[in-house]
Amino acid sequence: MNADQVRAHIDPIRHEYAEARSLILPALKFAQTEKGHLTREDLEAVGEATGFSAAYVESVASFYDRLYLAPTGARVVSVCVTLSCMLRGADEVWDHLCEREGVSHHGGTSEDGRITIQEAQCLGYCDRAPCIQADAEETKGPFTPGSAAAFVDALRAAPDPHEFWR
Amino acid sequence: MADYAPVDLAADNLVTFELNGRTVSAPAGTMLVDAAYAAGVEIPIFCYEPRLGPPIGACRMCLVEIEGMRGLQTACSTPVTEDMVVRTNSPMAKDAQDGVLEMLLAQHPLDCPVCDKGGECPLQDRTFKFGPGKSRFIEPKRHFPKPIELSSRIALDRERCISCFRCVRFSQDVAQDGQLTMQERGARSEITTFTGDAYEARFSGNITDICPVGALTSIPYRFVARPWDITNTPSVCGSCPVGCNTELTTRDGELKRITGRDTPNVAVEEGWLCDKGRWGYDIAMSPNRLSAPVVREAVGDRTVSIEDGVAAAASLLTGRRVGILLGGAVTLEEAGIALDLATNGTLDNAVVARLGVASGNCAPVRAATGAQLGDIDAADLVVIVGGDPAAQQPIVELRVRKARRFGARVIGCGARPHALESLGDFTRTAPGHLADGMMGLADAISNAARPVVLWDEADLASDPGAIAALTALLAASPHATQLMLGADVNGVGLSALGVSTTGLFEAIAADEVDAVICVHADPLEAAGSIAWQAVFDGFRGPVIAIATYASAMTERADLVLPALTMWEQEGTLVSMTHRAQRLRPGAAGPAQAAAGWELLIAIAHHLGHPPAYRTAASAFTHTVASHPAFFGMTTDLIGTDGVVIGAWPADDVSPAAIVADPDHLVLVATRDTFGDDMTARSHALRTAVSAPVLRMHPATAQALWLNEHDHAVLISDVGSSSALPVLCDARVAEGLIVGPLGAPGSPIEGALSRNQHQAIVRVERT
Ligand code: SF4
Ligand code: SF4
Ligand code: FES
Ligand code: FES
Repeated sequence: MNADQVRAHIDPIRHEYAEARSLILPALKFAQTEKGHLTREDLEAVGEATGFSAAYVESVASFYDRLYLAPTGARVVSVCVTLSCMLRGADEVWDHLCEREGVSHHGGTSEDGRITIQEAQCLGYCDRAPCIQADAEETKGPFTPGSAAAFVDALRAAPDPHEFWR
Repeated sequence: MADYAPVDLAADNLVTFELNGRTVSAPAGTMLVDAAYAAGVEIPIFCYEPRLGPPIGACRMCLVEIEGMRGLQTACSTPVTEDMVVRTNSPMAKDAQDGVLEMLLAQHPLDCPVCDKGGECPLQDRTFKFGPGKSRFIEPKRHFPKPIELSSRIALDRERCISCFRCVRFSQDVAQDGQLTMQERGARSEITTFTGDAYEARFSGNITDICPVGALTSIPYRFVARPWDITNTPSVCGSCPVGCNTELTTRDGELKRITGRDTPNVAVEEGWLCDKGRWGYDIAMSPNRLSAPVVREAVGDRTVSIEDGVAAAASLLTGRRVGILLGGAVTLEEAGIALDLATNGTLDNAVVARLGVASGNCAPVRAATGAQLGDIDAADLVVIVGGDPAAQQPIVELRVRKARRFGARVIGCGARPHALESLGDFTRTAPGHLADGMMGLADAISNAARPVVLWDEADLASDPGAIAALTALLAASPHATQLMLGADVNGVGLSALGVSTTGLFEAIAADEVDAVICVHADPLEAAGSIAWQAVFDGFRGPVIAIATYASAMTERADLVLPALTMWEQEGTLVSMTHRAQRLRPGAAGPAQAAAGWELLIAIAHHLGHPPAYRTAASAFTHTVASHPAFFGMTTDLIGTDGVVIGAWPADDVSPAAIVADPDHLVLVATRDTFGDDMTARSHALRTAVSAPVLRMHPATAQALWLNEHDHAVLISDVGSSSALPVLCDARVAEGLIVGPLGAPGSPIEGALSRNQHQAIVRVERT
């Protein structure tokens, strides 16, 4: 993505941010929609569009779990592991998904490159615990290990989204 | 380093407060850590570093109890107020110190035995002094592959980092190179650059001084010495005319490290050094270092002992009319001895001259109130007239950036574009037309409360209109102070001793001299090299080179006496801000070499005229006694911080004025501290070297049918340069070419006249 594209996205919302620095986050989220992760060029483009150094932009990006500095799977599946979900069986869901996708118990990307499994903290779906979120688009629950696997299978089969909002 | 800011206990806005049961005072607004330190109470800190700007409270090491405030407060970011009651040693404060240190050490590898910082490490010291002694942390610690190279000069051991942000603030706020950042978060936090690129910046080494742990260390110093087998000597840097105060670390007679001083000189460098001053000393070990005297005879070169070399020098000089040429970095002592020998009958009526820029005609500007670099901090307006300070006087850049950070306005004019122009409003002037640019600055200067005008010695000296304009500007602004951006390392000292840039060349050409001594001076590699070459070609008498490194002159000379470097000898240098400061040796140097002053004294002894002094100190006393600028000065008075010298009668030599006109191209030379021959020979600085180029406006290049990277030579009426690549830079004025002075092989010196930094040239593509 280039700086002009980033500018086109942030210019209309500039006035909503009292501090120029704060624009870096929406700019990064938008830049990420293109490939699903951020490349060196994306970081430079955001730096140019926001007026901060690329190094600073990268340091901001590195702080957040949902901004990816390396390629991910086509879909990112976040499994909530915070209290309500944990009490309602999140661990079993997590372990089952990791095992099925063939990734370590820290999460990771499946071999076919379709799915990235990662832990998430409370997603605000405690009333439907344990819950799962697909990218930043769709949050659902409650899941059993079996229904979670079916949810992931459906994601795997679905066409990639037009933009990667994570 | 300088952890606590100095506190002025004589200020008139003192407030009184209670500190651990005692009543103490400090100026209102002083941070509690500094006020306490001034009162003899050390509150431990890590992230606080007053030179980096306002405190950020990142490490929590400085927690103290303040009556009436809830919880504990960070003393680094709490200003003292009247009647405050502070406890730094109460059970609650002690508990916090234990807790913070235990927390900082939880992820710390405690590998002090293999850590370069061990023995001089604030984390180690403060853990012993304030820490809990035991850790309850038994979990596995974080690990990183170690160390990684942040650059070719700086190693990073990430697991040692305590996330104090000092290095990041230096890079972002002080040097403003924007490169260092903290990435990730929590236990994974690490210092890094954009996508892991090398941290290449001219002031990068300072982060190794301010890192309070062993996370950032100097690669050339890695595993080289331990604090208990080194000695540290305060000295000054002689790589440029700024004269930053340094500390030399010596082990076994060898120089192992240069750092900023623990107690920085706030009037000069404030503890910061450029990477050249910090790491450039390895050229003293480079292959072209001269280590034994050489007698050049028809049958070939003969290496002799230093005693025989001195004796040979004396016999070459006996009965001859002598000329002595001094380089721009020659010390006061060496120049003083040369002048003494010329007048006391040792070398009958010898002609003494120096290489460098003459600026006697700038005396009216100099007569206005002078400023030190430290005064720039408090300026509300910084004016830069001419020059290329970021390249020629590196530390000035940090000072001006600091003033800008504090809200000063930065304005100026000049022919050469430079890095500080991005800080404010600058106008481009053609060479010889600085006065036009200054007209636009007059209002700002007279309206400012504390303006400081930085003016370039070489640019002003060759632009009489500019001298008159600046003199008038300064006279019209009673608050204005001025500071010269000097050309030669000891140019001020040498002119204060009355050493002229003229006389010797003319004497040689007129056959009035039949032996020449060059002291740290190579006229064949200096501006005007072609003319010098011509007079030396016709010169039949002996030439003696007292020099440190092999150069064209040491190849030409009949006798070469190897001299010590500025890191190996005693001496006094006067900085561009007129500050006399002392060099002190931090290394022994080759066995068959000696300091320039020692060699001159030894030669005098051999000539049967033992001088009245034997040491550098007594030569200093003898020298200053006869020169008004130094009256009353003693080495004690200079001490470790230096002292500003007095006024001296200006000589009337000045460089020829070169006034640009539309029909001619003008070459203006810049001596880039990182592009000179010395830097090119340093191994440590190999990735910092700036390549020699001819910078010109794209339109100028186009008019000359030149593309970027084409090679071109400059031809003036005195000679020509070697071929150099063209670099297009739209910031350069049209019709102007900026060329590198002092670059390896002295490429442009041939096109310049003696002691000039500008020339009218033609350009030819090669
Ligand atoms: S590397 Fe050193 S200076 Fe930089 S944050 Fe870590 S401890 Fe502080
Ligand atoms: S700015 Fe000049 S005096 Fe200071 S360290 Fe660098 S070269 Fe040396
Ligand atoms: S704990 Fe999982 S959504 Fe709140
Ligand atoms: S020194 Fe006060 S918080 Fe770090």
